[in-house]
Amino acid sequence: MASTTRLGMLCARQFQASSRRVLLQPQSLRQSSTTLSQRIAPFSTTTQRKILPPGPQVVRGGVNEAAPVPPPQYVIIPRNNGTAVLSAMNTTSQLFSERAISVALIPLTLAPFAAGSLNPTTDALLVAGILVHSHMGFQQIITDYIPQWRMPGYRKLFDYALLLATLLVGIGFYEFETNDVGLTEAIKRIWHAGANDATVGKSDLNALGHDGKLKNLKE
Amino acid sequence: MASLRSASRLTTPARSLFRPAVRTYATISESGAPTAPTRNLVPPEETKTVKEPAPSKDAKIKTFHIYRWNPDEPASKPRMQTYTLDLNKTGPMVLDALIRIKNEVDPTLTFRRSCREGICGSCAMNIDGINTLACLCRIPTDTAKESRVYPLPHTYVVKDLVPDLTHFYKQYKSIKPYLQRDTKPEDGRENRQSRDDRKKLDGLYECILCACCSTSCPSYWWNSEQYLGPAMLLQSYRWLADSRDERKAERKEALENSMSLYRCHTILNCSRTCPKGLNPAKAIAEIKKSMAIGSSM
Repeated sequence: MASTTRLGMLCARQFQASSRRVLLQPQSLRQSSTTLSQRIAPFSTTTQRKILPPGPQVVRGGVNEAAPVPPPQYVIIPRNNGTAVLSAMNTTSQLFSERAISVALIPLTLAPFAAGSLNPTTDALLVAGILVHSHMGFQQIITDYIPQWRMPGYRKLFDYALLLATLLVGIGFYEFETNDVGLTEAIKRIWHAGANDATVGKSDLNALGHDGKLKNLKE
Repeated sequence: MASLRSASRLTTPARSLFRPAVRTYATISESGAPTAPTRNLVPPEETKTVKEPAPSKDAKIKTFHIYRWNPDEPASKPRMQTYTLDLNKTGPMVLDALIRIKNEVDPTLTFRRSCREGICGSCAMNIDGINTLACLCRIPTDTAKESRVYPLPHTYVVKDLVPDLTHFYKQYKSIKPYLQRDTKPEDGRENRQSRDDRKKLDGLYECILCACCSTSCPSYWWNSEQYLGPAMLLQSYRWLADSRDERKAERKEALENSMSLYRCHTILNCSRTCPKGLNPAKAIAEIKKSMAIGSSM
């Protein structure tokens, strides 16, 4: 309830603001046409809509204190003999595996077309690689643009939204791979879709059927 | 496009939803006609200490637009002020022009400068769109083109061309820029180093911390609170590459998080802009390599 009234107020305010702008603009232009252009000649011509406006400067701690160092992001697993090992998934290895997957995707993309045969295993590997690759890429974008220290709520929201999206795409890919033709075959069909389309490089309109396709379809 | 805009408005914090669309950038105005200051400013014509002689026939008049903002006038917006100088009577570098403007035209113009030969790093500013040291940047002799001088981008401005580098220096302190050793040298004298090990520090120790590279990095613009930036990572590598340092594991561990080091996306603005010709991007790549492969450096 509260959210709908707030939204309504927002709309009303925006309407008021826009109508005020329309009403006032000719008047202010009439007042001083030359100085106005000088006064408001900006570097950009579009109105500013800042998503994340810069806040006031905050100096945490004294000016002579070192900036805080974020804690290392890996898990320490203690062993029985008193020593400890670091888990494999620290930030460095995470970033390293990200690059490794990116590189591995190149042969996986080319392999089915180079070999000329469709293998369900390579198809599944390709789909899994794409899924992990895009998930990690989007995670980087979120880390870049939604800073944890400034917008922890939005950060959590976007992190979970990404997880949900990846899960959904994963389920979709699984369905497509198991119940349909699979990714490589789908791309292949789209690629050759023009072979039966009369509008590509054909001028003989008599050969067309009522649906715009050739009467005698190629197999 | 309009639909995208309304959608993006949903992701903004509620604070900025109700904020009117106010421009906070500097606007261009004629000199002496500032944008509505709260008290009357003295126009530069009246503050001149020397009367400008009539321009000679072969005068090379160059126009400079310089970013002005006065903290004593917090309500007035930053603006661009225009100055003209005869290049025949000015030194070759932008810093010479700025000093001449301050001495002869407008003593209220504020900027940092010290050594005037690219050693101190004080006069770092954005000249014609490139972060550089005013003392190392020649004035383009083409008088048809007007030069524009701004403070370093994405910094909090103290006044005119003076940026606030407090956080930059706090970050420098956080990387512990000094030799850390647990053992003493065997002969009880200085910590020695072979010629080859010394050579590894070439291209690293020359950095003067002028902040040109860090403030040219988009990644540092968005995440300067936690990302160290190219200048600090170059310094970090300077101590990682030092054969005499014995706390390399700790230094690396301080970088082992998603923010400090890995916000570098190899944009390479840092290497392009460095006025000393150093290569911070290569140093960052070396850190990443050593952390991934785990070499002892």
